[in-house]
Amino acid sequence: MISTIYIEEEIANHPRTLAILKRFPDATKISCQRYGEIFNRKSQNFRLQKKQPALILAKKHKGLALPTPKQYAIGAEYNYYFSHMLNCLYDCRYCFLQGMFQSAHYILFVNYEDFTEEMTSILNQHNNEPVHFFSGYDCDSLALDPVTGFTSAFLPFFESNPQALLELRTKSTQIRSLLKREPIKNCVIAFSFTPDKIARTLEHKAPDINKRLQSILDLQEAGWQIGLRFDPLIYTKDFAIEYSELFKKIFSKINPQLTHSISLGAFRLPKDYFRKLEKLYPDDILFSSPLAEEDNNIGYPSEIRNDMLEFCTNIITQHIPAEKFFPCHETV
Amino acid sequence: MIHLFCALPCEAEPLIQHFKLSAIKEFDLFRIYQSKDKEISLTTTGIGKLNTAAAVCFQHACLKTSASDIWLNIGVAGHANLALGEARLVNKITDEHDNATWYPQIIFNSPCKSTHLITLDKPSTDYQDALYDMEASAFYQMAIRLGTAELIHCLKIISDNTAQNTATVNADKVKKMISAQVQTIEKLIDCLKPLSAEIHSITCKPAHYQHFIEEWHFTKSESIQLSRLLRQWALRLPDEDVMQLVTNNKSGKAVLKTLRSTINNSEFIIHD
Ligand code: SF4
Repeated sequence: MISTIYIEEEIANHPRTLAILKRFPDATKISCQRYGEIFNRKSQNFRLQKKQPALILAKKHKGLALPTPKQYAIGAEYNYYFSHMLNCLYDCRYCFLQGMFQSAHYILFVNYEDFTEEMTSILNQHNNEPVHFFSGYDCDSLALDPVTGFTSAFLPFFESNPQALLELRTKSTQIRSLLKREPIKNCVIAFSFTPDKIARTLEHKAPDINKRLQSILDLQEAGWQIGLRFDPLIYTKDFAIEYSELFKKIFSKINPQLTHSISLGAFRLPKDYFRKLEKLYPDDILFSSPLAEEDNNIGYPSEIRNDMLEFCTNIITQHIPAEKFFPCHETV
Repeated sequence: MIHLFCALPCEAEPLIQHFKLSAIKEFDLFRIYQSKDKEISLTTTGIGKLNTAAAVCFQHACLKTSASDIWLNIGVAGHANLALGEARLVNKITDEHDNATWYPQIIFNSPCKSTHLITLDKPSTDYQDALYDMEASAFYQMAIRLGTAELIHCLKIISDNTAQNTATVNADKVKKMISAQVQTIEKLIDCLKPLSAEIHSITCKPAHYQHFIEEWHFTKSESIQLSRLLRQWALRLPDEDVMQLVTNNKSGKAVLKTLRSTINNSEFIIHD
């Protein structure tokens, strides 16, 4: 799967680096000073690199956990996101990472201990009030878990800090390490969904929605709290029919008691990112959607956006109490 | 197009023969050879970084290169312990002069192993566990300004090592070593061609674009809009005749308006 691994000299002997290298004995190993030498270079093509991404093992020096915009909150006053990885195994056509990064290589920051140290200091700053930490903004939280050992390294931290909550945002079925241990109350595994046909068209390499749903059922059966993320909502002529079917499929099976939260948001991207994606995939149907520009963002025009949000809100609120529902109120 | 660069005529000769290239007479600053179909060219750069950088620029100016072109620096190099005649793709280039480093992107199943290369200002027999040459850093640095990083590579064939140093290398031996690796070079090109085709597919103009540009006047920003609308047309209204729709439009602006409103009024279905 991974045939090239770049290794920052500073973490070449980090135990996590050594453990990961052991898993890929045949990969070409290339040392580098800082990951930016590879990752931030211009003239790279994200689309081509996506065919065979390399793994870059690096150290995260600053910005280990950053405040999250208010509209993404799921019930707490204080919210931070952190990224132990940049880039993703999957290839969703709407993914903003394609617009944000020059490179499709996976970066893994192996110094997990510095992340948890930073989280401790954040918790102290907020006098032990509830703080939510979101993982999965810049990667899929679980897709590479068997390689990164992310959950087994971070869950003990959250277990001993019950005032903190961890959201793992994912489309992955890599839940083995979660099922192997006792669930903790302050971890939400949040699965993203679009209707089946849309997922098949846009969410390349991601597990199909039935497999995601099965993972949810397995996790709930084991006692884990799950979240549902219908973000981005994708427009198509029969969106009402397709989203109704999706909601029916999901809500007929999941346990509402163990459903922590549901969020909703329509497809939108910063204009720069959108233009970059459009250049990378000019023949992809997503970029021919009915779209409008507003405040330097590109998304659906308000009539379509409001229709979709209203339609989905009506169905979702029939299934969960209002306090668990978090529509994203971002305009385009 | 595929652009090959060799420092020495003896490195170039086997490739000129293999790819059936002929000299292009009108360019005399560097020798440039080209295949009949103009798909492959080769430039002999001369030794050293300055010559190489100049040759890459010259090639770009003379042959009008594009983002989908493949750029290859092919030649011999020293290495501490690799066997003579072995081929290596380069995965890291360090310029010894200022320690600047580049990482050629090998995103395909390479026909040979890859390794680190150090570009020197002067020849040296102080071998280390890396390839040594006198051109690659300049080639790569210049080529990535002109092309797409994933399509730019250096392939080196070991001509000398600790046991048999540069004193044992001559033009005849170099020709033989390169000839023996022509298949590896071919395979490398075969790996790069689909990537090049993919870049071509996303950088080329959509169907009918040229016709529109010749028929009506569009400003620079309007021509970008035209390109976008024609692509959307092909996706959203694949069975409709776009030419017929706009045939009576008097100006580029009117054409854009017609295209836009027809597309906006069509149904949008994201999947089959
Ligand atoms: S799963 Fe998430 S992070 Fe991965 S490609 Fe899709 S949208 Fe991007």
